[in-house]
Amino acid sequence: MLLELRSVSRRFGGLQAVADLTMTVASGSIHGLIGPNGAGKSTVFNLITGVIPLTAGEILFKRERISGLRPSDVCRRGVARTFQATALFREYTVLQNVLVGAHLLAAPGLVPALAWSGAYRECERRAHERGRALLASLGLGAVASQVAGQLPHRDQKALALAMALATGAELVILDEPLAGLADQEKAETTAVLRRLREQGITVLLVEHDMRAVMGVCDIVTVLDHGVRIAEGTPREIQTNAAVIEAYLGVEEPGA
Amino acid sequence: MGSSVERSAAAPAAGVALIAAAAAVLPLLTRDSYYLDVATTILMNLTLTMSFRLQVSTGQINMAHISFMGIGAYASALLVTRAGLSFWATLWIGALVAAFLAVPIGSVALRVSGPYYFLITFAFSEVVRLFFNNFFEGLFGGPSGLVGIPKPGRLLGVTFDSKLALYWLMAVISVVVVLAFVRLDYSRFGLTAGAIRQADLVAETLGVNVFRYKLTTFVLGSFVAGLAGVFFAHYRQVLHSSDFGLEPMVLLVVFAVIGGTGSVWGPVVGTIVMTLASELLRELHHYEILVFGAVLILTMLFAPEGLVALPGAVRRFLRRPRRRAPAPTGAGLAP
Repeated sequence: MLLELRSVSRRFGGLQAVADLTMTVASGSIHGLIGPNGAGKSTVFNLITGVIPLTAGEILFKRERISGLRPSDVCRRGVARTFQATALFREYTVLQNVLVGAHLLAAPGLVPALAWSGAYRECERRAHERGRALLASLGLGAVASQVAGQLPHRDQKALALAMALATGAELVILDEPLAGLADQEKAETTAVLRRLREQGITVLLVEHDMRAVMGVCDIVTVLDHGVRIAEGTPREIQTNAAVIEAYLGVEEPGA
Repeated sequence: MGSSVERSAAAPAAGVALIAAAAAVLPLLTRDSYYLDVATTILMNLTLTMSFRLQVSTGQINMAHISFMGIGAYASALLVTRAGLSFWATLWIGALVAAFLAVPIGSVALRVSGPYYFLITFAFSEVVRLFFNNFFEGLFGGPSGLVGIPKPGRLLGVTFDSKLALYWLMAVISVVVVLAFVRLDYSRFGLTAGAIRQADLVAETLGVNVFRYKLTTFVLGSFVAGLAGVFFAHYRQVLHSSDFGLEPMVLLVVFAVIGGTGSVWGPVVGTIVMTLASELLRELHHYEILVFGAVLILTMLFAPEGLVALPGAVRRFLRRPRRRAPAPTGAGLAP
């Protein structure tokens, strides 16, 4: 198991946002986390990545405890994420955004920058190369020098993913990667997710587009009111009575 | 200030060379002690403004920056007059004292951000000023000031009792400081600092320890402020607590903002223009700060990115007058 949540709880004042959640994400899988609005999906992402602390329980990544770490240290262990409201460095160019993402693979800090050594410049040159290659692989090669805040929505989404991948993470956590995309763009993004799986990168995603979730995910976990109500393959989830009642009942399953 | 990321190392090198050349040429043009005094003040202010801007580049507006100049100044003045140490030792010791004190103070202040950070650092600066003013009068001189601070002693056979020699000393210090800060700005450090300013949570989740970066800029900025303070003490030879109070701090903010905090060159432009303006407005005495306040308001209204961004803004305005032009700022990265 790559990621393991053990009896994780999070309370906001009187609201139990996540209650005694236990789930595992298998290495090399695409794992979906679904549930109605307010089910606690984004809270789970914030708990895993250390953005907010747990009230109870623990989270393990590659059998090591990551709950309680700073977000930057969670990233250092190999977990990167995107945000629901696409979060970028809006004043920077696309390539600069990806270069910030490569922080952990570069020579950051005061001393290398001041020394300006050959090794430092070589390291930065390689970071540029890797950044350009990554952008090209995600269809962003042509906009590498454009200011991120002015990109169309589709490109901003792709850039957020590129930044997470630039960290060298083994697990990328994507908060609604398809939101606001046209059908063709959704297809492109799901193709990218499958390609990541082939490369051995594990994907955990929250998504409201059920057709896409059922099409691309290996395993789906369903949350409702902070409680896990079901987990299984897309086929199992689509026929699960509790899921249909709590969530999919509103819509046709798989529609 | 283009949006291109592949800014080579040539532009920053040329900028620093220009500043160094200007500093070196000035004494050939005039030996008048008034002009040398103004030029020395510009260079001293430049080290302060650039070290202030380093912190602004990560999103911190440190209203206690001037206090660390004061800490360096008083530390060196006392070590020289009371302990008999050489200026050449206390130059470093004073700066290090400022940097060491910056570690606990920064660690507390950086727990908060935005307006709270502004307020907590402002409160700290008042505490420091009142401390120098009201406590240990026998040491700090109280309201009448600390007097009798000697000029720097001989170093390698050179004496520092003339305006010219002191100008050269400050010129060397400030060119080294400018070189270091320009290098930082064009490096990955500057890139990361700007990322923190734009979206600190995103930077943190991409592996950047935001707190450590902010503390590093706070401590380094305080070290340089302390360095400027030590020079100030032995240049003016008198220290008053008000030298490190709100008014000089506001001037520092004005220098940085009018030049433009989005670019490492902003403080250079702002400091030169505003120190000269300050000299020309000298006759206005207390009204000077009013004029500066008005200039600050006008800058924020009509040129929020400062003087340094004006040429680019004008060019974009002329080229496409109907569209809102982008104005990417912040750090670049030379490969």
